[in-house]
Amino acid sequence: MSEQRMDRPLWRRPMPKDVDLAHQVEHERRSHLLLDPRYPLDMDKNVLDPMYRTGIQFWIAFVILGGVVALYLGTWLYQMLWGLGITGLNRPVMWALYIVNFVYFIGIGHAGTFISAALRVLKIEWRRPISRAAETLTVFALIAAAMFPIVHLGRSWKFYWLLPIPNQRQIWPSFHSPLLWDMTAIFTYLSCSILFAYIGLLPDLAMARDHTGGWRHRMYDILALGWRGTEREWVNHETALNVFSYAIIPVMFSVHTIVSWDFAMAIQPGWHHTVFGPYFVIGALFSGVAAVILVMIIARKGMHLEYFLRAEHFDGMAKFLLILSFSWAYFYFNDYLVPWYGQEPVEKILQQLFSQGILAPLWFLMLFSNIVLPWAALWSKKIRTSIPALFFISVFVQIGMYIERYLIIPGSLGRNELPFSWGLYIPHLPESLITVGAFCLVGFLYIVFSRIFPLIPVWEVYEGQVMRGLRRIGRALVPTRIEPD
Amino acid sequence: MADILLLGLLHEATPSAETIDQLRQLGVPDENITVMSGIPYRAEMLGRPRSRGKLIRFSLGGAIGGLVLGVFLTAVIFLLYPLVQGGQPTIPIPPSLIVLFETTMLGTMWATFLGLLLENRFPIFKSQLYDPRVTEGHIGVLVQVDETLAGQAEKVLVDNGAHHMSRGDPSQPIDTRHGLFWSGVVAGLVIITVAILLIAYDVTKIVFPTNMANQNSVAYVQGPRLAAPVEAIPIQGPVLIAGQPASQPVPVSNDSIQRGEVLFGIICQVCHGKTGDGNSPVGSFFSPHPADLTSDSIQSLSDESIFLVITQGRALMPSMAENLSPEERWDVINYVRTLKK
Repeated sequence: MSEQRMDRPLWRRPMPKDVDLAHQVEHERRSHLLLDPRYPLDMDKNVLDPMYRTGIQFWIAFVILGGVVALYLGTWLYQMLWGLGITGLNRPVMWALYIVNFVYFIGIGHAGTFISAALRVLKIEWRRPISRAAETLTVFALIAAAMFPIVHLGRSWKFYWLLPIPNQRQIWPSFHSPLLWDMTAIFTYLSCSILFAYIGLLPDLAMARDHTGGWRHRMYDILALGWRGTEREWVNHETALNVFSYAIIPVMFSVHTIVSWDFAMAIQPGWHHTVFGPYFVIGALFSGVAAVILVMIIARKGMHLEYFLRAEHFDGMAKFLLILSFSWAYFYFNDYLVPWYGQEPVEKILQQLFSQGILAPLWFLMLFSNIVLPWAALWSKKIRTSIPALFFISVFVQIGMYIERYLIIPGSLGRNELPFSWGLYIPHLPESLITVGAFCLVGFLYIVFSRIFPLIPVWEVYEGQVMRGLRRIGRALVPTRIEPD
Repeated sequence: MADILLLGLLHEATPSAETIDQLRQLGVPDENITVMSGIPYRAEMLGRPRSRGKLIRFSLGGAIGGLVLGVFLTAVIFLLYPLVQGGQPTIPIPPSLIVLFETTMLGTMWATFLGLLLENRFPIFKSQLYDPRVTEGHIGVLVQVDETLAGQAEKVLVDNGAHHMSRGDPSQPIDTRHGLFWSGVVAGLVIITVAILLIAYDVTKIVFPTNMANQNSVAYVQGPRLAAPVEAIPIQGPVLIAGQPASQPVPVSNDSIQRGEVLFGIICQVCHGKTGDGNSPVGSFFSPHPADLTSDSIQSLSDESIFLVITQGRALMPSMAENLSPEERWDVINYVRTLKK
């Protein structure tokens, strides 16, 4: 590319004269977003235009999701009036679907941070167009998750007892209790994830401000805080993103570890395992990455983002998913092997319940979804880049990981040391409605967000395009990257 | 002569760097030049001096602040309101580390965000000299020069390919309304805090209509009992029958007293105090005070009466039947007898 004049704008660089090289350039552009620069205004339009399109499909989704969310809130109110007795919670299973949902949604919230913080720090370039979609999923999944301990309280209006203030009885909450660690960790993770997403959004808010009119312009004008993209702003922006990236990764690990300690700290068969911390973190990333793939597929279709989300991105995410499936299987085997070898009567009974008892269909479905299916399918690049196949696999991973939490929580609680207090939890209507409502809440917030905020970080994509190019080595053109410090 | 602001839009980094070089040769100092871009160009790419922000100081300050908050929550609270329980440290270190970590990170990130706002003088709601084409991939070079130099500076920009020029007046102060913004933020925080405290201290009572008492739940001793699984072992032991003594007293022995001391530390000491005189940190909040177990009035009670109080509770004291088995209650009674002055 040496014949190219470097002072031409990126998107107007000519093709090489050599036919073979031109063919190679064509091929690289087709497969790599960062090698296929467009006039940034076109990219801006590509991201902003779908935000205006609220067609009939959008409104149908809006009404259905919104309706189920209203049902969720109504059921919650009904439960506050009548108490948790309307649910299937009873001795000995006092933690069930609400806590399953809590763990599940917090898990979903882990992928966003990993993709935007860890992959940013490691300079993995295919994350660029995905990071916003992933961060947003983190925020909404955490909101859905944070509601569940309050739903589970029964007397939800007493939630302020968790706050670090003395109440009228001059009692402080004890921060030595796992439930308070939960509160502290989730508050830290949720609030900092919102700030992290917002900092990354600032240049795009300025972009949206510059290219919209009406109420949107006024809103972006306020939210962009007067961003102009000056050198000082960019230097501080980068420092802030770096601090957040390095700080939020250990917080992410701590959050799901603390969630696992909610169980592991109790002397309960099936829970009291030291491997629970890392095992939960890997499970969280596993379900979270699959959820991000689902969101990418839906957003790509619904918002016409085919230019930004290409086969290379799905390929990268699917490889990541496969590695996480390996890791999850490793940790699950650890969690299974040690009690199996010990042959403690209670643990033995739990393992029998899962492998031969009434919960066996769920257990085998979980093993199929989390291990057999990803291992059998994701080794093939054809499947990794096939959107229908990835959609199918990701949905199964969601099912598998939901079952995993279900088996750990109500499954294990149904079997204690004393057989007279054994029981089987069957979900009743109220908690089932609230569960479906939580899924719809995430979807509802997401579709509303997607019409108000740019879902693709255009500045990050453009930055990647500027910093990336093709270098000729012998007969071939190979992608190269400028990596300033 | 008054200064003037010139903003020229260029296509690429190389001509922008050349423009900046030539402006410097004209005698424009570096601090009067600003570059605006849609993506972060490195200072070296534009031939600009590397600027080091002070943001990291905010992060460090926030980390220290968060750590102090964590120490307050995990240690200071427990020194102010000690909950002394037998065999347990008042300030345990491992669980405290978890909270210390979280609050430190919380402080770091919040302070970094605050620093980002302050360092960038955000928010700025009034229009500044700017061109929306910056977010279309163009690079804006903003230069503040003396009016006599304005013509030459403009020529430098145009010669290097600046395709749009705009002018501004630097003497016009930007009305950022920072006072309004930050006082609004502080007022919002104060309102939220006050609202929570009003509820927390029962000043504003939330009377929530609840039918919980009527719910379809099964109390501990109510039917229908859960069916015992096939593998279950039938209970073969003494059954509690109303009106008959629940259990035989445990004879006084050193073993029994030792067991009782441990149980007393776990169950009773929080309110009755280490010496049993009822003057524990928690007990002093109760009215009436927890009974002085060393006093004659208590020590003169029969063992059976004390057993009944432990089992059923009395006044503010709740029943301890779920915490102590009948044998354990006798152990505790044997220990309480040793507290006599």
